[in-house]
Amino acid sequence: MSAGILTIVEAGSTHVTDLGRRRGPRYGVPVNGALDQRSARIANILVGNPENAALLEITALDLEFVADIDILIAVTGADGHLTIDGVGRPSGQPVSVRAGEAVALRQLQGGLRAYLSVRGSFDVPLLLGSCAPDSVLGFGGRLAAGATLDLRQATSPLFNDHFSAELYSLDVPRIPAGFVVDVTDGPDIDDFAGTADRLFEQPYLVTPTSNHIGLRMTGPLPERISRGEVLSRGVPVGAVEVPPGDELLVLHRGRGVTAGYPVLAVVTSSSLDVLAQVRPGQRLRFRRVSSAEAAARTRADLVALDALRLRVGAVFAALDALSLSTTGRTLL
Amino acid sequence: MSEASVVVSPSGNSALRVVSVLADREAGWRLVHHLARFVDAAHVPGVECVIPTYDAALIEIDPAEVSLDRLGDYLAHVIEGLDHDRPLTDTPRTFDVPVLYDLDGELDLQTVAAAQSLSAEEIVRLHSEPTYVVRCLGAPGGSPMLDGPPFPNPVPRLASPRAHVPQGVVSVAGRQATITPAAAPGGWPLIGRTPLTVLDLDAEPFVPYEPGDLIRFTPIGPDEYESLLGTRMVAR
Repeated sequence: MSAGILTIVEAGSTHVTDLGRRRGPRYGVPVNGALDQRSARIANILVGNPENAALLEITALDLEFVADIDILIAVTGADGHLTIDGVGRPSGQPVSVRAGEAVALRQLQGGLRAYLSVRGSFDVPLLLGSCAPDSVLGFGGRLAAGATLDLRQATSPLFNDHFSAELYSLDVPRIPAGFVVDVTDGPDIDDFAGTADRLFEQPYLVTPTSNHIGLRMTGPLPERISRGEVLSRGVPVGAVEVPPGDELLVLHRGRGVTAGYPVLAVVTSSSLDVLAQVRPGQRLRFRRVSSAEAAARTRADLVALDALRLRVGAVFAALDALSLSTTGRTLL
Repeated sequence: MSEASVVVSPSGNSALRVVSVLADREAGWRLVHHLARFVDAAHVPGVECVIPTYDAALIEIDPAEVSLDRLGDYLAHVIEGLDHDRPLTDTPRTFDVPVLYDLDGELDLQTVAAAQSLSAEEIVRLHSEPTYVVRCLGAPGGSPMLDGPPFPNPVPRLASPRAHVPQGVVSVAGRQATITPAAAPGGWPLIGRTPLTVLDLDAEPFVPYEPGDLIRFTPIGPDEYESLLGTRMVAR
């Protein structure tokens, strides 16, 4: 039984997704899920959801929707112009929306993908435990105007009754400026002999054939020295490959789980989030890091998310107490 | 263990690749699949997924929960205890797959035949003769990855991959063969199509076979293809 209905007014290119189908690769099915995992986690943290809760991934184009109950939302990822009934509201913060108010996210810039979470999330079908769309299996898909999503929970507005000022300002980790993509050496780097370093010489231009399966880019191409047949093997998300042709291929979360190309380098998990925000026509630079540096960066990211979760929890607890004492509303 | 049976290398900061170096390729294949099953069953904290293939397994981790070094030590310990002579399945199931071969030249059968200096009929005979072992589940959608038919030469991949390969096509590349359960882009030459429906999204996994099971291809004509269209792929 749903608590309310969210109706899409303008769909743009929006999908319901989560952190991915983690059991999928075992069965030959890509993990998929939010391409910018960090922004998706942060969006859910900001509204007090589990990090893997279903949320909206908005790619490049404008989104508008209305809900028939009061909800609490948060927008993260690419910068956009968020309005509630035409009034500008901040990204990267929990934002209350009253029943019937139009929520619009327009003019995404500085990145390609934004994430919008709703406290309580949506009731959506799961496949192998995940709602992430899979274009190959034909599961899930782009929302269309008029589509509806079942909301699990109403959240009474969190407003300061006296001043209608913002009640909180949370320090949210930002998307790194500039597109620098960290990679560690791949397991097949020797197949490229001395040419592997070309990856770090010049920026690469991302081409329009890029998508959730992989990004294609032009620039100096390392050359595969080894020849002969390579057996299909599991390839990691982030694998940098040099397929026949004149483009470099970097696999993302929609990648086929097995392939027969040597893996030159692998994008670090943190930098996969950077790749999720690069638009075709933009340039990026690869930077070689050691496994230890990559691991340290991952740990630092986790610490930042843990700290944010604690702060959000404290804010909600305080607002709940405030609200109960002054207005009698129950927030959670 | 006196000699290492595998080489373990990082594949990015959240995956390890374990490659068998056993001289016996069959033993190496069994080893990586036994390893995958063991790790699956043990629910190792921090391990998200294991992808076993022919001679290798990719083990994906959540770097928040486990380090690659620690996982590597653990895997070395596990591998020492695995018996790579034990079959993957005591009673492999056999799946009969009827195939309408591409004798009309609509797909790539003629090209494949020409590259082998064989007739299309010879290619059909060589492809439908063996009993194939399902080596692993691959992309897209859990394709049964098979050792290729005994063609004289490896089959070259298409110079320009197709943007859309429909479900049910039967393809070959290099020394490998497969069936495509789900429509996807692909660069493998297509030599026929099966009327069977391979994918079932209500099942887990989505495909009926598992590594170690057997597949046989049987040539059929257009009429039989039409009458079988949409039938589920089931074991004999």
